[in-house]
Amino acid sequence: MSERGRRAGLALLPLAFLLLMSILPLLRLLQEGQGAVSTGLFADRYLQWRVLWSLLQAAVSCVAALLIGLPVAWCLARYRFPGRSLSLRLLMLPFVMPTLVAAMGVLALFGPQGLLGVNLQDTPWLLLYGNLFFNLPLVIRAACEGLAQIPASRLAAARTLGATPWRVFWRVEWPAVRPWLLSALCLVFLYCFSGFGLALLLGGQRYATVEVEIYQLVSYELNLADAGALALLMLLVTGVIATLYAWLERRLAAPLKVDPVLPRRPQGMEWLQLVAALALLLLFAGLPLLAVLWRAVQAVAASGFSLLHDEEVLLALGNSARFSAMAVLLAALLGWLHALAARGSLWLRALAFLPFVVSPVCVAFGLLLLYPQWSASLPLLLASYALLAYPFVARSLAGALDSLPRHWPQAARSLGASPLRVFARVEWPLLRPAFRRGLAFAAATALGEFAVTLFLSRPEWLTLTTLIYQRLGRPGADNAASAMLLACLLMLLALLAFLIIEWPSAAERQLRKES
Amino acid sequence: MQLFKTTSLISALLLAGLSHAAELRVLTHSSFAVSKPLLAEFEQQNGVKLSIIKAGDAGEMVNKLILTRANPIADVVYGIDNTMMGKATAAGVLLPEAAERKSGQPQLPGATSIDYGYVTLNYDKAWFAKKQLPLPKKLDDLTRPAYKDLLVVENPATSSPGLAFLLSTISAMGETRAMAFWAKLRDNGVKVSKGWTEAYYTDFSRNGGARPIVVSYATSPAAEVFYSKEKLSTSPTANLLLPGAVFQQVEGAALVKGGQQAALARKFIAFLRSDAVQKDIPTSMWMYPVQPGIALDPVFQHAEKPAAHTTPNQQQIAANSAGWVGKWTRIVLKSGQ
Repeated sequence: MSERGRRAGLALLPLAFLLLMSILPLLRLLQEGQGAVSTGLFADRYLQWRVLWSLLQAAVSCVAALLIGLPVAWCLARYRFPGRSLSLRLLMLPFVMPTLVAAMGVLALFGPQGLLGVNLQDTPWLLLYGNLFFNLPLVIRAACEGLAQIPASRLAAARTLGATPWRVFWRVEWPAVRPWLLSALCLVFLYCFSGFGLALLLGGQRYATVEVEIYQLVSYELNLADAGALALLMLLVTGVIATLYAWLERRLAAPLKVDPVLPRRPQGMEWLQLVAALALLLLFAGLPLLAVLWRAVQAVAASGFSLLHDEEVLLALGNSARFSAMAVLLAALLGWLHALAARGSLWLRALAFLPFVVSPVCVAFGLLLLYPQWSASLPLLLASYALLAYPFVARSLAGALDSLPRHWPQAARSLGASPLRVFARVEWPLLRPAFRRGLAFAAATALGEFAVTLFLSRPEWLTLTTLIYQRLGRPGADNAASAMLLACLLMLLALLAFLIIEWPSAAERQLRKES
Repeated sequence: MQLFKTTSLISALLLAGLSHAAELRVLTHSSFAVSKPLLAEFEQQNGVKLSIIKAGDAGEMVNKLILTRANPIADVVYGIDNTMMGKATAAGVLLPEAAERKSGQPQLPGATSIDYGYVTLNYDKAWFAKKQLPLPKKLDDLTRPAYKDLLVVENPATSSPGLAFLLSTISAMGETRAMAFWAKLRDNGVKVSKGWTEAYYTDFSRNGGARPIVVSYATSPAAEVFYSKEKLSTSPTANLLLPGAVFQQVEGAALVKGGQQAALARKFIAFLRSDAVQKDIPTSMWMYPVQPGIALDPVFQHAEKPAAHTTPNQQQIAANSAGWVGKWTRIVLKSGQ
């Protein structure tokens, strides 16, 4: 079979899945609106502000993530200190946190009577802080990886020629790290611009995004035409950014690292830099999680653990675990196929972003219109989880496949290894970390995916996220306390999923030590 | 007891599974909480498998019903209320029942009333005691400087209690005066939250917010006592039953047009009006039963039941609701933009 034909075969399943679960629902919703868009929709100043603010908050988040992330990343990449590899690993933590948990943490910090004594509610800062919580670590990790690609010899040469550290940074390090940052910033912009849950929970009335507006138009006003027009506008912007990202990322494939710069112990004032960097990291990526923990401890102190002795909590825990496991299995299958098919195909690669960039609100209602008879069925629910989770697997694997040295499998083949053996002994060990990382993200997404709450739900499908909402839907101190406890539980569960999947095996640790 | 309940539940489920029971699809709002053993009993007695489908709040639920009217996702709907009834009727998604004269008060024309409650203001007792501020006597007091920045309401465009509260002010004052009142409230710093949860758990001073007056339900003070660890002897909140700030919400059930299992659906509606369920409703969904003579849980002594309310009728709501919400949004949310 030709390479082209093989790829088409692999792509069949993920493409059919995207068509059925994302494209057709959107089209169905647009059809229902029948293009009866309000005249002067985009001339409405209220809506103009929404669009402008969506762009602005995404842009500001990008700039802030760059300005804070780059120096922090430089310190993490260049200085050796106790707990360094742990810090690098923990950088992933915010990314696996459910939106609801993060928002509750941010509110516990900066809400009315927040732990820090500053009330940022109804200001743009709340959403921007939330954005940075999720996205700053992304930029830091990308910058660290970029910095690791610079050969030590090149830095040494620049130094020998008398360049100051500042000059070395601008002339050697910055050009090398720039494409990595650019690709990470594309991702940050994409998440912030099309973000729904965080903006809904933290934006308030004034600082909500277009996606929240779409939600209100569809869900409360049944104005499908205007919502569809807005969704298409979003798709246009995000589509361009996603394609740009896919193009940038493909150029980043960096197969082998040659003599990377070894981190060194900071000296004198450099300690100060390092401490400042770690403090910034804690402020943006650690505090909201600690706040959730603190509030949960307070809740236990006030009401005890008895709040968790509850039939509903057990059901929710079981369902959360069960649904996540099934969604991860589905996501693993779809992700593998998509990643293999997307090898060397820009548009397939960009398509992996489709579930992120198509308005989840429109998809949820489109599915309801398209498959009413299955709309309250478990397979459709699991498929929606998988839809939101599988791009993580696909993207993580696609990146790893790119940096797979092509001649290694060829060498193994010429030494007489069967294709299966080549895969098991050469390719799989190289792909495994990326695959596991993708699974960790997928599991975390499935555990705490906010958009899924838009779908119809059944009492027997109670999950932790829906239970938190249910508890917060009733008055009473016990309900508030148990919501906080459940949020903490959800956080720990996400942490557990992350640890199980992402923690390096003994063999990997050994490999790391040797290198 | 617990064991017995669980066993009976399991056996009911098994029986239902073995006998390939008919399925009845029930669409409800997300606050639906009839006790499981009662539902299991209904399934067993009628040889039916209940599929409870939750579809967001009452407003979202009706919209989903309208969206899927060509191919209904349920056979019977519960939780439709007098704010949404007109919209559902106009869209023709419900099966008009022959007007059976049913006992119970109040009624919900076009559907069968199941329970009712009141949307009104709650206040934080401790806050007012500490500040030694007298309680407002009438709605207009809330526009005075003494009560600046004290009130949080829900957005009527995205919240049922928010809409109900707006409707009660309009019913009491008439549209023109009510909108002028809202403009003054806006200038006096009224806070608008997206929904009840945000208002009650983020902005209400009882739960760590900064506002001691919140739009909530008249039963909330009782729920505060019910859901408290140390079983409070008095509620930390109370109703502020100002004239023009009380809306009577009536919830009901109806058959979905194009649904199946009409006979079973009617049985389910009758079941919701049975003594057992009516007795269960007050402390599970915090509404009052429509059937007379149902004894309330003692905890309800903490909830002062409003003696009067200002509620527009269904026709007025159906005809004007969207326009009123649009005007309100322009005055309160979009002003200055």
